Amino acid sequence: MFRLNLKIALRNLWRNRGITAINVGGLAIALAAFILVTMYFTYETSFDKSNPNYKNVYVVGVSYPEFKTNYIAAPFAKAIKQTYPEVESVGLIKEGSFELTIKNGKNTLFTKNILAVDYNAAKILNIQPENGLTKPSGEVERLNYLSKESMQTLFPDKKDNKPEMVGYGASNSGITVVVAGSIRSNEHSNFVFDGISLAAELGEHDNYDMNDYSIFLKLKPNVNVANLEKKITDLYRYELLKNNTSKKSTAELKAISTFLDPLSNLHLRPKAGNDMPYKTLIALSVLGFLILVIACINFTNLSIAQAANRAKEVGVKKVMGAYRSQLTLQFLTEIFIQCFVATILALILAELVLPYFNNLFQVGLSIWQVDSDLIWQLPLILSLITLIAGIYPAMVLSGFKPALVLKGNFSTSKQNSWLRNGLLVFQFCIAVVFIIGLLIINSQLKYMRSQDVGFNSSQVVYIKNLTLFNNPVKFGSVSFNPVRDRLLKIPGIKSATVASFIPGGQNGINSYEVNASKANIDFVNVDFDYFETLDIKLKEGRFFLNTFKTDTINSAIINESAVAKYSIKNPVGQTIRGCGIDYKIVGVIKDFKTQGFESIVQPTIYTIKDPCGSYKTQILLKIEENKMADALAALKAQWPQINPKDGEDFRYEFLDELYGKLFKKQEQLQSVFFAAALLTIFIAILGLFAFAKYITNGRIKEIAVRKILGASDVQIFKLINSSFFIMVLIANVISWPIAYILTKKWLETFAYRIDLPAMPFVSSALITILLTVITVSIQAKKAVKANPVDALKYE
Amino acid sequence: MIQLNNIEKYYANKGVKSYILRHVTTTIKQGEFVSIMGPSGAGKSTLLNIIGMLEEPTYGTYEFLGEDVTTLNERKRIELYRNHIGFVFQAYHLIDEMTVYENIEAPLLYKKIGSSERASRIADLLDRFNIVAKKDLFPNQLSGGQQQLVGIARALAAQPSIILADEPTGNLQSAQADEIMNLFKKLNQEDGITIIQVTHSEKNATYGNRILHIADGVVKDDVKVIV
Repeated sequence: MFRLNLKIALRNLWRNRGITAINVGGLAIALAAFILVTMYFTYETSFDKSNPNYKNVYVVGVSYPEFKTNYIAAPFAKAIKQTYPEVESVGLIKEGSFELTIKNGKNTLFTKNILAVDYNAAKILNIQPENGLTKPSGEVERLNYLSKESMQTLFPDKKDNKPEMVGYGASNSGITVVVAGSIRSNEHSNFVFDGISLAAELGEHDNYDMNDYSIFLKLKPNVNVANLEKKITDLYRYELLKNNTSKKSTAELKAISTFLDPLSNLHLRPKAGNDMPYKTLIALSVLGFLILVIACINFTNLSIAQAANRAKEVGVKKVMGAYRSQLTLQFLTEIFIQCFVATILALILAELVLPYFNNLFQVGLSIWQVDSDLIWQLPLILSLITLIAGIYPAMVLSGFKPALVLKGNFSTSKQNSWLRNGLLVFQFCIAVVFIIGLLIINSQLKYMRSQDVGFNSSQVVYIKNLTLFNNPVKFGSVSFNPVRDRLLKIPGIKSATVASFIPGGQNGINSYEVNASKANIDFVNVDFDYFETLDIKLKEGRFFLNTFKTDTINSAIINESAVAKYSIKNPVGQTIRGCGIDYKIVGVIKDFKTQGFESIVQPTIYTIKDPCGSYKTQILLKIEENKMADALAALKAQWPQINPKDGEDFRYEFLDELYGKLFKKQEQLQSVFFAAALLTIFIAILGLFAFAKYITNGRIKEIAVRKILGASDVQIFKLINSSFFIMVLIANVISWPIAYILTKKWLETFAYRIDLPAMPFVSSALITILLTVITVSIQAKKAVKANPVDALKYE
Repeated sequence: MIQLNNIEKYYANKGVKSYILRHVTTTIKQGEFVSIMGPSGAGKSTLLNIIGMLEEPTYGTYEFLGEDVTTLNERKRIELYRNHIGFVFQAYHLIDEMTVYENIEAPLLYKKIGSSERASRIADLLDRFNIVAKKDLFPNQLSGGQQQLVGIARALAAQPSIILADEPTGNLQSAQADEIMNLFKKLNQEDGITIIQVTHSEKNATYGNRILHIADGVVKDDVKVIV
């Protein structure tokens, strides 16, 4: 019985092979997209899942009135451990804040992130060196581990696992460190590192003002987290009050609270950060699912459209003694076969597209993994689409009444037309929303590319450096002036400066006071020529100038937003107080978008002297375009003399590329939307193509009669197109408000955005109508060209 | 075998009942060969459909093999199809995607008959109808008469006690029609299969042994055919 049904199914599919191919092909493409999305979703939601403590690990974050952060003072870790028994263990980690060069003779390694962890943190976060996790003790203060590849770079001939001696920083720094072994950094984790510096204890000499660690807790099972969160907040306020070094008022302390953020949140939606990645992932999953639904709708629609051909079979089988359930099963089997073939094709397609996908999302997914979740997901998806696509047609087909279908003049076109039309409209709704979305994303990105960001990052070179050029001198920092003088001697270098932060990165935040109004605002510590190098526009007053002696003592420049924040009238000449210094405002600059278009420009203060500031290490040079190559070559050659403290390894990046990374997420989104819109339209048009074929086939007789009655070809084209035209129009009307709401929501994530344009809505209507008319007309042409006599001959 | 009591069938449209069948009462015994005759729209096919349980009467009772089948659930009805009733259609209604062999095999599969038994029954039928050479052809490769032979073979495969035929020769040329009618006669006389056919043709009706004349939904005449 099954074999016979299988045979019938195959013969049927073969007879309608054109439409079968469209059906299966469309489904395969949609499935490929869905498989990729599923894999990506699984990957993104399972960061650190291999950690056996996954469910019980929390990071302690601090919530200030202005922002939230996971950076907290180290001593608090001990306080938590001592106070709350429900906390099983407490670990501290600290990310490497600068690039570190590691040397072994001539072999040099550049590391970006040497993670400092204490023994407990390594245990909590499952950080395991290859030769096992051991607690540093006795003479050994730190145990250092580097990745296998790094070890290979430093010691190309090394075969064993023995500890090795390496130099840290420039070779004249004199710092040597023992690397205890190698460690594998798990890319599928929130804690990615070039190396690990393992200590028994961390931050022992820190105080409550030094918020540069992250505290991780491993809780005992079944702890009430909300309750613990409250208790930790109380403890934190108490500790701050007890060690009140920064003289915070009680009201200020009250405004500070702590929170616990589970490890599972950390990658996609950290509380101290934004949940954009999570939203993007959800949006992506919805896109993938919708594409699949559209392909399934094609299936459903075509299967019902084919019903007239299968009705006789159903009737005959029923009078021969087939139960309805048997027929339902038969039709489901047919659809299952097609879905199965589509799945195989989809896997092949996905495999072909995977490299591009991995490149776009910067991941290393692969389909052929034994431990991949795809093994159970794929059969699930297969049965799901079989059910979605098949259950309705199977029910409709198997439900035919034999007395009706066997009379001979049976037609299904009337019965289910509302459903088929509804499904078609639904497909086009999704397609229209995608088109509008794509067009609006495009215009926003175009706006972002063309809009003035307020500074000019082109031909600005950012040189990586560890020498501190702070003022006042701290921790052995040196003056930048001699460096600048030597730099400016190189032909092509127009200006040189050093700053604590560069545009595109995060600025520091500190408390400043104007006329007794206090606020936390961004600060950047700069040197002369900072504004000139970045070509930032002055609004009033002046930039920092060498000729003013006070500029290195207590001058400040603020931006427009800061003026607005403190609502200062005539800001130039007024005083802004911070870090125990009364700064005199000498200039106001126009706002420039250091953080891209998503966040609003923060009130910012720029100072040369700042005892509470950050290290000034980021060197920025403006170089003439046509002398760029020569200047860079000269820099490379002279760098050791120019910057004697950290001149051994000249490394640089172009600032516009760095700043461009802020746009990367949006460009990713654009690519994804482009693919999704293209896919949905393609699949919807495929479905329409096959559907129009059936409709015109069903109307051949009607067309023949009309032709005999004197209808012209154009009139018949109109006749066939009109119903589709109306459906597409309805789809547009339905999807406009949906697209309007969604795109408006998306645009609202930008601080600087375009007004919602009307053009995409019109364009999407034009595009869909045009595509529909073309598709339907291709089908209609056959019916129009056919000889009426053939159609009217009685069979 | 079949007992129809006061069968009525009508469609109500805007309060107006349009009758297809009125007060049809008749008995058909095992082994009879009944022809239902009448002009177009007289209700012949509806009567046959009611007998075949493809349609339900609006009023009246119907007993099949002594059992009231006026309203029957699908499962029970299909059991009757499997074991007792064979259908033959004017348009043959062979399944286009199946070969001759498979078309005849299909009812046996539903009846869950073992494969060796199936093979022998089909071989027997192919042999009897002289279509052995055609067993691997598809319906559209056969002439109308041959298709109807397959249709009858299919109806007989499940060894029914009654065959219901709706204008079985309506689409056939007269020579082929005669062949089919002779076959029916033979089946009726030699195998004792009850046959009920709807026909337009006086000539075809004479192959049977009883004629029901229907006009405007009413049985006008019930005559025995005397050979």
